[in-house]
Amino acid sequence: MERNILVLLPQLVLIATSFLVLAVDLRTGDRKNREAELIPWLVALLGTVAALVTLPLWVGQGEFWGRMWQSDRFSLFFQVLVFSVMILVLLESAEYVRSREIQSGVFYALILLAGVGMTMMASSRELLTIYVGLELMSVSFYALVGMMKNDDRSNEAAIKYYLLGAASSAVLLFGISLLFGLTGSTYLPEISSKLSGLQGTAALPVAWAAVLLLFVALGFKVAAVPFHMWTPDTYQGAPTPVTAYLAAGSKAAAFAALIRAFSLGLPTLADLWQPALTAVAVATMTYGNVVALSQTDVKRMMGYSSIAHAGYVLTGLAIFTPESLSATLYYLLAYAFTNLGVFAVIVLVAGRRGNEEISSFRGLGQISPAYAAALTLFFLSLVGIPPTAGFLGKFYLFFAMIEADYTWLAVVMVINSVISLPYYYNVVRQMWLEPPEEANVLPAGTAAGQTAATIAHRALLGIGPAVAVTALAVLLLGLYPQPFIEWVRQVTLL
Amino acid sequence: MIPLGYFLGFGVLLFALGLYGVLTQRSAIRMVMAIELMLNAANINFLAFTRYLYPDDPRGAIWAIFVMTVAAAEVAVGLAVILVLSRRRQTIDVDAAEEMKH
Repeated sequence: MERNILVLLPQLVLIATSFLVLAVDLRTGDRKNREAELIPWLVALLGTVAALVTLPLWVGQGEFWGRMWQSDRFSLFFQVLVFSVMILVLLESAEYVRSREIQSGVFYALILLAGVGMTMMASSRELLTIYVGLELMSVSFYALVGMMKNDDRSNEAAIKYYLLGAASSAVLLFGISLLFGLTGSTYLPEISSKLSGLQGTAALPVAWAAVLLLFVALGFKVAAVPFHMWTPDTYQGAPTPVTAYLAAGSKAAAFAALIRAFSLGLPTLADLWQPALTAVAVATMTYGNVVALSQTDVKRMMGYSSIAHAGYVLTGLAIFTPESLSATLYYLLAYAFTNLGVFAVIVLVAGRRGNEEISSFRGLGQISPAYAAALTLFFLSLVGIPPTAGFLGKFYLFFAMIEADYTWLAVVMVINSVISLPYYYNVVRQMWLEPPEEANVLPAGTAAGQTAATIAHRALLGIGPAVAVTALAVLLLGLYPQPFIEWVRQVTLL
Repeated sequence: MIPLGYFLGFGVLLFALGLYGVLTQRSAIRMVMAIELMLNAANINFLAFTRYLYPDDPRGAIWAIFVMTVAAAEVAVGLAVILVLSRRRQTIDVDAAEEMKH
């Protein structure tokens, strides 16, 4: 019950920075000066780095502010993850925002606030804080997805994400209200102890309904089948850095809430939700991989790929052993960095060619071999081929599965990896084996006088460092995993 | 006094009505209204449970206040998104927004 403002320091830094970004944007926003437009971006980036730097001031395990805030290794893990994701997303946004009609101040402020929401979701054992965090993240995302006001696709993506997202949070609330009625509490450990007293009573079906409603709502946020309908459209229509943020940040935060709620609040009903979660996980990965095969837009393809990966991650929670939860966290880490790398290259290619069709990757191996090689590495990681982070994430999950006598699930996952191979390979093949399309190199609306060559070789600010960092992280997590595995093992000792 | 069951039944009906509205209506504004019904159903649950089962515990009422506040923020952003839709396409029919195909 201790009150300590230090425990909220990273969040306070981010909130202060978001206001500062808005204020700075008012001063510089209306100038048609390309350099001045970068000032809000720089402030946001410095603020996020500052939030990451404050983490070593960690005050230790414990509950603060009347049990509303939980500080433990789990929350620390997700703060490190979310802040790293934010820094990479900001790096990818600089040129994207500058070259489109996006209000940079509002955009960066919302990125920061969404990050605050994500860390809130991971830093509490009280459903009220988790709910407010979820809403802070979601409301920021509704606006971020629809940020390109003159783009029909961005608006369509926002409409779909908003209507389904708001409905899903209403479903979440109804589930929580049922749990509150049954247990008189929304504090997860208390819910758990009260629910175990309900075994065999007539109130149990109500608890089942509550579990179902909670899973529907959080399953929507992680894009699990059959609550995935929004994912392809929203991923395709949203500004590319926002898509990356959705895939890496929002998904990780939703899994944090899912793990907290199910492993702390509802373990007594595990017999019920474990089989259901396993079935959903298998359906999710299979559906995502099969539908991704026929996509022509790379962002839409990554949307289906992200559905498939949600299925992989869900297996970790479905098995529900300490080892499998650690594997889940490791997978989330690997997936976040890999995905951010992929989207960094997409921002680059789309910036040069003006569209996100898979065919615009043709000949990237000739134009910029370094980026093509990096993208190949990221795709290897997504399929799960060594020596990458994705391979180790899958390997760790397999290990947990076999240990828990879920060998058949490991087999299903291997089959799924094989199914996913063709759609990643298609992009890799176009990059290395096809010649670049000269007609495609000049994006529509480019000022006359710029030759194709200058556009192709113009470096995009921030993309280089983002690709380098993510590629290093993917290799590090794949080749030197011991410290990270020990870290996630400590984290799940909740 | 009215029994608790009546309130809970009312809450479930309101929730079902809202869910039905979200799934069947094509007008964005009607869908937002249906979502509001679902949120209010949760609030009725919170308040009824507090009044009947946990009268000494203010937490249920606090939840209701949070839900109302957050819902207002959510609707503000949502209406802005719908406003952009109506400006660009002169309609608020969500089926008009189907440029991207599966």
